[in-house]
Amino acid sequence: MELVTTVVSKAGAKKSTVKWKFKMTPMRWVFTGIAAAAIAVILVRFVLGLGATTNLNDQWPWGLWISFDVLLGVALAGGGYGTALIVYVLRRDKFYPIARSAMLTSLLGYIVVVLGLLIEVGQWFNFWRPYVSWGHASVLFEVFWCISCYTVIQILEFCEVGTEKVFKGAHKYLKKAMPVMLIIGITLPTLHQSSLGQLFYLMVGKVNPLWWTAFLPVFFLLSSFFVGAGMIVIESSLAGKALNHKVEIPVLRGLVKISAGAMILYLMLKITDMVVRGTFANAFAFDLPSIMFLSELTFGVIIPIIIAFSSLSSTRKGLIWFGILTVSGVIMNRFDVLFTGMGKYLNQYGGSYVPAVSEFIVSLGLVSIACLAYLFLAENFNILGNHESEHADDIEIKDGKYASTAK
Amino acid sequence: MASKVGRVKSLSRRSFLKFVGGASLVGVTLNLTGCGKPITPDKAIGGNGWMPTQYNAPGNWPTSVRGRVPIDPENPAIVRDDQKCILCGQCIEVCEKIQSVFGNYELPIKKEFVCVNCGQCIQWCPSGAISERDDVNRVFKALADPNVTVVVQTAPATRIGLGEEFGMPVGTNVQGKQVAALRKLGFDVVFDTNFTADLTIMEEGTELVKRVTGELHHPIPQMTSCCPGWVKFVEYFYPELIPNLSSAKSPQQMEGALIKTYFAEKKEVDPKKIFSVAIMPCTAKKFECQRPEMNSASKELNDSNVSPDVDVVLTTRELARMIKRSGIDFASLPEEEYDKLMGTGTGAGVIFGTTGGVMEAAVRSAYYLITGQQPPAALWNLTPVRGMQGVKEAAVNIPGVGDVKVAVISGLANARKVMDQMKAGHAPWAFMEIMACPGGCEYGGGQPRASSPPSDEDRNRRAASLYNIDAKAKLRNSHDNPEIKQIYADFLTAPMSEKAEELLHTHYVSRADDFIPKKSEENKLY
Amino acid sequence: MAKGVLVDIPKCIGCESCSVACKLWNELEWDEQEKNKTAIDRAKEPNNGLWPEEWTSINRYDLEKDSESVARYVKTQCMHCEDPACVSSCFSKAFQKLPEGPVIYDQSLCVGCRYCMMACPFDVLRYEWKKAIPGVRKCQMCATRVANNQETACTSVCPTGAIIFGDREELLAEAKKRIKENGYVDRVFGEKEAGGTSWLYISDTPFEQMRFRTDITSKPLPSYTEGYMKATPFVGVGWAAILAGLYVYNNKGKEPLD
Ligand code: SF4
Ligand code: SF4
Ligand code: SF4
Ligand code: SF4
Repeated sequence: MELVTTVVSKAGAKKSTVKWKFKMTPMRWVFTGIAAAAIAVILVRFVLGLGATTNLNDQWPWGLWISFDVLLGVALAGGGYGTALIVYVLRRDKFYPIARSAMLTSLLGYIVVVLGLLIEVGQWFNFWRPYVSWGHASVLFEVFWCISCYTVIQILEFCEVGTEKVFKGAHKYLKKAMPVMLIIGITLPTLHQSSLGQLFYLMVGKVNPLWWTAFLPVFFLLSSFFVGAGMIVIESSLAGKALNHKVEIPVLRGLVKISAGAMILYLMLKITDMVVRGTFANAFAFDLPSIMFLSELTFGVIIPIIIAFSSLSSTRKGLIWFGILTVSGVIMNRFDVLFTGMGKYLNQYGGSYVPAVSEFIVSLGLVSIACLAYLFLAENFNILGNHESEHADDIEIKDGKYASTAK
Repeated sequence: MASKVGRVKSLSRRSFLKFVGGASLVGVTLNLTGCGKPITPDKAIGGNGWMPTQYNAPGNWPTSVRGRVPIDPENPAIVRDDQKCILCGQCIEVCEKIQSVFGNYELPIKKEFVCVNCGQCIQWCPSGAISERDDVNRVFKALADPNVTVVVQTAPATRIGLGEEFGMPVGTNVQGKQVAALRKLGFDVVFDTNFTADLTIMEEGTELVKRVTGELHHPIPQMTSCCPGWVKFVEYFYPELIPNLSSAKSPQQMEGALIKTYFAEKKEVDPKKIFSVAIMPCTAKKFECQRPEMNSASKELNDSNVSPDVDVVLTTRELARMIKRSGIDFASLPEEEYDKLMGTGTGAGVIFGTTGGVMEAAVRSAYYLITGQQPPAALWNLTPVRGMQGVKEAAVNIPGVGDVKVAVISGLANARKVMDQMKAGHAPWAFMEIMACPGGCEYGGGQPRASSPPSDEDRNRRAASLYNIDAKAKLRNSHDNPEIKQIYADFLTAPMSEKAEELLHTHYVSRADDFIPKKSEENKLY
Repeated sequence: MAKGVLVDIPKCIGCESCSVACKLWNELEWDEQEKNKTAIDRAKEPNNGLWPEEWTSINRYDLEKDSESVARYVKTQCMHCEDPACVSSCFSKAFQKLPEGPVIYDQSLCVGCRYCMMACPFDVLRYEWKKAIPGVRKCQMCATRVANNQETACTSVCPTGAIIFGDREELLAEAKKRIKENGYVDRVFGEKEAGGTSWLYISDTPFEQMRFRTDITSKPLPSYTEGYMKATPFVGVGWAAILAGLYVYNNKGKEPLD
């Protein structure tokens, strides 16, 4: 698929032509299919309402969309701020090769979150209300401001990349503003990642004590930080396949180790928290919440720590396992807080919630859209092809046009 | 990116402040200019509807009328459509003030709503929210079943009510058309409850004579038991007066029991295949037919497959609905006659439908039972017990016994006053007729809802129509009814014989445990 | 003075005048399905009888008392917390606690995130799932009536005085008096629950048998996140400053990254 845009920069004068390309592979067709289905469901949702497209009810006003799209989407996208912190603020330059792609994932993640939110809230056309009608006592108020501002910042950050190709005139201004954007772009997500956890602190007595703690914000923040590395590992291996681009192992390994450091802190805090609140008995009661809690910690934290600090992390396989476990651990954690954590309370008088097929379609569809967008951007902008990236042996530039976009 | 560190720094701070400050400023301005104004009550959802004026009083002022009566969703007689209720409070007025049921118990309620099923609230509800429990479909179903013999009886008062449903003047007598309509609807046999009204007089009269002569060790005064609302009222509030209630069943239940025994035997119909319907001016009859005692036929025949003596009670209004639904042109129907065997009633039977009627009929036959002679013409127009007064008294001179004092009461609040007097020892009467509904059955809870609120004018017109039927009747004494003579000769042998006791008499249960009795005389609950 | 309502559970006879009054005053639609439910049905359903168009519900519980089986009717609706979680949870200020007592909701400000529904400690908020443009629904404590010095619609029609409207303080005293006089359960539900509520309940049968959340905290829920929200701006600014500092320090003399 190829698209040629012609930009007329001065009246009738110079014409500059930009080429956009997008190669359709079977996988991409699948993504497109899911995305199309999701868009259909979304249309139905806007016409007929949430009741027609979801299984949400008055016991379960929050369901798959909110937990998947928001809690999880934000957490996974959170890798962006972590990388920005490490690379730009702390100047660990060795991680620079992954910076741009991590931040792109993050941007796409946030856009998905914002889109997901617009679909998920009842009066989407009122999304701007909190800007003028300040419910400043609400944790959600902070989340809202941070997410929306951060998304804008991220778009601006990406424009810095984008203007390398189009609207080149704006590039130098954006470049100048980068440091500020970076700092705000790290501050905001740290604030709202923790706030996402704090959201649940208001539900006093409703969430299982295994998850309901004053440390919620810290846990959410830390896990969003360490999941970033896992996400980058997975992403780079996927992108490596799709786009013939692989990141060097030492770079990833270093990242994984930083991430594992955060995990150790997280684990220690979890244990301290259990000691302080005396929830050990709950954790080892081996009922559903306890099993979920333990496996979330074992598979999502402890094993990844072991991988990171053993020789396993020097192999691509080990790294990928680290990524998969960490990411699933955090996914599990976010679902646990809502579903396992609140299930007993919300179902006590016979309530129930199982996400509808249409809900899954929309969630998957949003991810598909993000993947397609990522692939498109990665093929057309300088995201992966930085000088230090390793060129895979099997690199094959079929028509040569691909190369022209790489630096 | 700027190469000088200082430049970066200053740019950073300025832009940061600019960005955050700018956004906040916009928010604050909008906030101040109105977009973020605190909500005022009128912005809140709801709150713009209406309420009956009596409730729009300043906070905590008592309003004169409040709320409505509670109705159990399982109530066999009455139902309410909340959607139509306008909270006018009329039902509570009639229930509390006229029937003295609501509020005559202490709170908390135990389990049941105290309700005598009289249905007067239906007559008072201006919006038609309260109505009888609709059993029309059960009857239609039975009619459609070719294996079932559907036998119907019509109460004395329905014949002077039904016409109103078809636009006829209040009190029009449509006895013949009613029979024709029932036949057209497919009822196999049409009987008249007037017949068992006469039978009731025989049984109840005999019982009264036995009480007076001391043959039966039951207290005097004897109180009528043909009104199921009244019976339930006694069971609730005056269980100690249950022995004063006549043990005779109501005409409806006598007819029902006889349909499944006497009629079945005579006409050789399988009692299990008889569906017995009663058309009544009354909602409490729906409750009565469901009382567990009311399955004498099943007991008598020793067959548990025989359904209750009366399977379904329909109110006059429900019958009208059936006629309308079936597209029958009521006004042009011919006059038809009741079926024989249990379809003949006397003038004494028909005046059961109004307050004082049972008493008048009873006096006529008591005279005969005691003296063996036909009553004098004066007893065919016993004016002291006629009319719409709540409590009427009369003394009837019967040779050999002297002056017999009787009382006639309608409306349960009136009854309550008299019962309280009786408990206090003031009971000079031998016989008392009590009807739950003011004016008696002719204005019962199942009668057509007049276009005007319940009034004595309408009650008098309906009563006049009944007295008119009586005046014109060939036979005016219950004991003269040839079918009564026949049934005693063929089936029951004599009043209060063993068989008569089994089929035509019943017993009562105290319901005093269903609620906490009122501690003080104060009538209000709050 | 802040108003309130006292619900004297044993005095309720289940006439449901109150719920009809609520419908009339708030112009709530009638729904065939809800209309056909009985007080027993409603007590058992997960929604507790409350639906978008049913802001209040009379629920019947069949209980044992002194080895006698009794029925109790409980009126349910928003409790109108003194310091409501719904108000604090709403990021667009669509909820508000009025000084007179009512907690009101303005749909025109609502974004529809439903955080309030998750936060409400009494689970009384309902959402119009069936509508394309849905709002949150709950009892508004007849704010327009209360603002005009009239009592709430429901209390004005109650024939037995099971629900009475008045100054919260006075009602609280009255409640305690009734508890003593009638030998009720020694607890005014709503005095301290979730930091106190405008609606107060007293009962002669145990609250926990009638679906009351008796294990609820007595701290106002917003106090759980108040400190966090207050600290946030300072943490944010401080954190940004640290980052800026680090940035400047770490980038000193280095080639800026692309
Ligand atoms: S009389 Fe009818 S409309 Fe009036 S309160 Fe009673 S049920 Fe409602
Ligand atoms: S009960 Fe729930 S909805 Fe009502 S004020 Fe309290 S938190 Fe808000
Ligand atoms: S206070 Fe008003 S809105 Fe609330 S339940 Fe009563 S009538 Fe309904
Ligand atoms: S109006 Fe009063 S007595 Fe009737 S159901 Fe409501 S609270 Fe109970």
